[in-house]
Amino acid sequence: MTTLRAFTCDDLFKFNNINLDPLTETYGIPFYLQYLAHWPEYFIVAEAPGGELMGYIMGKAEGSVTRDEWHGHVTALSVAPEFRRLGLAAKLMEMLEEISERKGGFFVDLFVRVSNQVAVNMYKQLGYSVYRTVLEYYSASNGEPDEDAYDMRKALSRDTEKKSIIPLPHPVRPEDIE
Amino acid sequence: MAARGHVQDPNDRRLRPIYDYLDNGNNKMAIQQADKLLKKHKDLHCAKVLKAIGLQRTAKQDEAFTLAQEVAVLEPTDDNSLQALTILYREMHRPELVTKLYEAAVRKVPTSEEYHSHLFMAYARVGEYKKMQQAGMALYKIVPKNPYYFWSVMSLVMQAISAQDEKLSQTMFLPLAERMVEKMVKEEKIEAEAEVQLYFMILERLGKYVEALEVVQGPLGEKLTSELQSRENKCMMLYRRLERWAECNALSCKLLLKNPDDWQFYLLYFDSLFHLIDQSWTPPQEGTHSAEGEVHASISQALSFMEDRIATEEAKESKHLRGPYLARLELIRRLRERSCPEAQQLGEPLELMFQFFVKFGDKPCCITDLKIFLDLLTPDQHVQFINRLMEAVPLGAPGEDGVAFPGDTRALQRHLCVTQLSRSLGQQHALNTQGKLGLIKELKAHYRHGLQFGKSCLKTELQFSDMYCLMAAHVYIDLWLETSELNMLWQSLGLLEEGLSHSSSNAQFKLLLLLLYCRLGAFEPVVDLYSSLDAKHVQHDTIGYLLTRYAESLGQFAAASQSCNFSLRFFHSNQKDTSEYVIQAYKYGAFEKIPEFIAFRNRLDHSLHFAQVRTERMLLDLFLEADISSPLEESVKSMSLCPEEDDILWDSLRDNRDLTVLVSWNPKDRQLNAEHKQRSLEDDTLWLRLRSLTLRLIGCVSALTHPPASRNSEKRTENGVAAKPSSLRSLLSQLESTLNQATQFTEKQLQVRTALSSGCCQCQLSSLQLPLHLQELEAAGLGSLLHTSLYILEKCKGDPLEVKDSQSTTQHFLLENLVYFVETVCIVLWVSNYCVSVLRPLKSSLQKKKKKKKEARNVDQSFSLQSLLNQALEHIKSQEISLTALKLGALSLEGQTQSEAEGTFTKMAMDKVQSSYLRSLQEIGELLKKRADTLKSLKI
Repeated sequence: MTTLRAFTCDDLFKFNNINLDPLTETYGIPFYLQYLAHWPEYFIVAEAPGGELMGYIMGKAEGSVTRDEWHGHVTALSVAPEFRRLGLAAKLMEMLEEISERKGGFFVDLFVRVSNQVAVNMYKQLGYSVYRTVLEYYSASNGEPDEDAYDMRKALSRDTEKKSIIPLPHPVRPEDIE
Repeated sequence: MAARGHVQDPNDRRLRPIYDYLDNGNNKMAIQQADKLLKKHKDLHCAKVLKAIGLQRTAKQDEAFTLAQEVAVLEPTDDNSLQALTILYREMHRPELVTKLYEAAVRKVPTSEEYHSHLFMAYARVGEYKKMQQAGMALYKIVPKNPYYFWSVMSLVMQAISAQDEKLSQTMFLPLAERMVEKMVKEEKIEAEAEVQLYFMILERLGKYVEALEVVQGPLGEKLTSELQSRENKCMMLYRRLERWAECNALSCKLLLKNPDDWQFYLLYFDSLFHLIDQSWTPPQEGTHSAEGEVHASISQALSFMEDRIATEEAKESKHLRGPYLARLELIRRLRERSCPEAQQLGEPLELMFQFFVKFGDKPCCITDLKIFLDLLTPDQHVQFINRLMEAVPLGAPGEDGVAFPGDTRALQRHLCVTQLSRSLGQQHALNTQGKLGLIKELKAHYRHGLQFGKSCLKTELQFSDMYCLMAAHVYIDLWLETSELNMLWQSLGLLEEGLSHSSSNAQFKLLLLLLYCRLGAFEPVVDLYSSLDAKHVQHDTIGYLLTRYAESLGQFAAASQSCNFSLRFFHSNQKDTSEYVIQAYKYGAFEKIPEFIAFRNRLDHSLHFAQVRTERMLLDLFLEADISSPLEESVKSMSLCPEEDDILWDSLRDNRDLTVLVSWNPKDRQLNAEHKQRSLEDDTLWLRLRSLTLRLIGCVSALTHPPASRNSEKRTENGVAAKPSSLRSLLSQLESTLNQATQFTEKQLQVRTALSSGCCQCQLSSLQLPLHLQELEAAGLGSLLHTSLYILEKCKGDPLEVKDSQSTTQHFLLENLVYFVETVCIVLWVSNYCVSVLRPLKSSLQKKKKKKKEARNVDQSFSLQSLLNQALEHIKSQEISLTALKLGALSLEGQTQSEAEGTFTKMAMDKVQSSYLRSLQEIGELLKKRADTLKSLKI
């Protein structure tokens, strides 16, 4: 029981219960506005009947069409602690995939911390697989070592042979990804 | 600002190193390199601009501006110079100059698509909608591309939105925009989804819902594909506006069949249903019910629709949706509101909620779901309800202390949910003191027992039983509020500290700790707590108030400066940032986002919190620095404080605080409601008014102190410091009336109340009145002021933290009073400084004899001012000593059988408070000492 709707600027004033989570990044205003200006359809929020924000997904479409790399990308996905275990993240992912299908994407991809096992497992359940490891993708601020990311992908119907998700044999550096 | 074009212009090659230096932040080298280049190539204008950027970034704004204008007057048309100037003007926050630049460029090169497009964007940045409209059309005439045409249309819509006169919007701007789009439609030139969106926006704003519906449902509507359910959502909105309830009902039915969990459509389904019933709607004789298909227009249809939804859920083996079950409760509520007997057919709410609990009780959101339907229960059902639910919670056998524990996390979640519901029903509040203490004991036991389930939790995860801990802390607070026993608060703090030690990411623990420490007047621990929340960007506006509200008034000046800076940095970047994305929205055709972004920028610009931190930051700077590290007038000038200008738009202040960020399960009558929020906003606004007037009055005093000879009159008006007595007088009368208003208004507001009762407000007012009296050559002296100050100081005396009969008490308002005292001293000193400067020349005047007397009195007063400060300093010193000597460890918390571990956390909280008080005293003492020193140098 959720109202799913487009994320608007005013939601930035109400998303504290989601964003005070330590793994959810609060970005600068330009970052959100860039997504709202360029890919508004990819920024969806779930609202509870009492008006509390439950979670949101933020994504974009990018990549070269001619090289079969046009795809949907999940930039952020977060659900407030009290609204977890309801399948909300899966619902939001499903919506992002459908939008990417409509845009004729070949696949959907996302980056996740290697240590974030809960998320990695959830994405696996949703049909995502590790395409490659990106070394030291997440920079740490407090003197701890930088963390690797998994680049996980799921093929969309346009990629009939599922070529886009064949895992790379070697990890890559952040500067090598597009 | 890097590379452009592929053709290597030799100038590009020459400029490259300067760009690189600027990009790498090496501004000095950039300036040097530019100078070198300019020696050889005098006419390489771009080098000048790049040098100006370097100067701007090294805080040489005036030089940078002069240099830039040298190039700008030449009306350059080379890309490099134009782009560099654009960057520079943006960094100078002078976007209006960019428009001048490109106006000249398109005049010289009238066919340039690029310059015209830059000109359009430059206008967009400053919101010159009419000029945008023209620029868009000019562009379309040069290059007939659709986006340019629609930029022009959108500019008309923006003129409509921003017009003061709604009639003008409706009869001129919007119809014109509509006609422009219609022309394209007729010529079959509509290409993009964005263009249809814009057409829809225009029709909607014109109230032409029928026409809008035709567009959405017609061939143009087929272009609306990006957003999911875009056409359905738009149709739904229009059906509602048009009150076409049959279509509204049929469409919500369809959408609910597709997604039976989407709450908004249940609400629309019910709304439309009852409208249809009220209208006695009947289906047409033949054909379909409505354009959207079958319509439900009777309660029996709705009942069977709901039953079907639930039957579908029941048939599923797993992943049941909550929507249908909750919608059934919602329908009961609505039927009851209309006194429909059919409500009973759906079942008894108690039973239905019990069933819901059986299904979903192990989900953390169960409390949030059920909370909104608790009012369906009658008060005499409450106990029965809780008991019924408790029966469905699998607990083990009770232990020695009579508490039975859950065996796994699901059982724990169920038990927790019942506990939360019990609190929401007011059952916890109804307990007496003994009952509450017993409850706390039980909650703590559950909390600690539950920790075993989370042993493998990562640092970033919460413990399963955290909410028990939080609730126990709440019950302690209930007890504290009821009994005023500080021990309860200490216990609450200790418990939360304990919770945090097991669950270091729990934001709720941090938030409540933060609030409680502030309530105790201890700001020091708050700094770390807040920084561990990792609040950033917009959060500085929504929860920044937790920090800035207390820092200064509790005498932690360094922390106060820092926390104001966090917020200010965010607000200042907003204006520049949002404008860039308004431009982006034009580029990507996200037209509906343009008014949204502009409204967002305004919401931040008009933030109450922004006005507060702006004002407090300036006051703080003056109190800490003015006449200590630099003269008052320098400080005032450097913050470009203009006493005659009120920089706060009082009528458009926006309260962006997130007041619901702290979780609570309080019963309805104790929840934060709209009235509380409104009152809090009024209180804060009143306090801001006092502070802002005080600030501007200090600015006035500073302007008066200027020896007129040392400044030429032109410059004085330019700086806005040429305060006339009249503005002083008017500000004073405003301050006076605001104070009167405050006196009548302050039963609840702590900050204003403390300030008023300390006497500082009155004293500041009287001191600020002095210059006026002097100007009128009335006999007025500092004498009475000194008496008042002494009175304020008396109110500061007492121990902020005291241990008596093995009970600790805090009187943190003493700290606040001390801060107000120091602020008042600052103001008195500034005013005295002015008085001296006026009186000194008079000494040698004709009325020598008469004035001599006055001078003599002044000497007296400076002596007594000095002794007042000394007295205050001694008081603070003795407080520091006694506070340091205070042994809180010896404190036994009466009536509490605390375990040793618990005791450690409580002690930790007490130590933090003690240390914080000490630090506040030290900071206040240091400032006062500095003020005492300046008094000596003040040759009164």
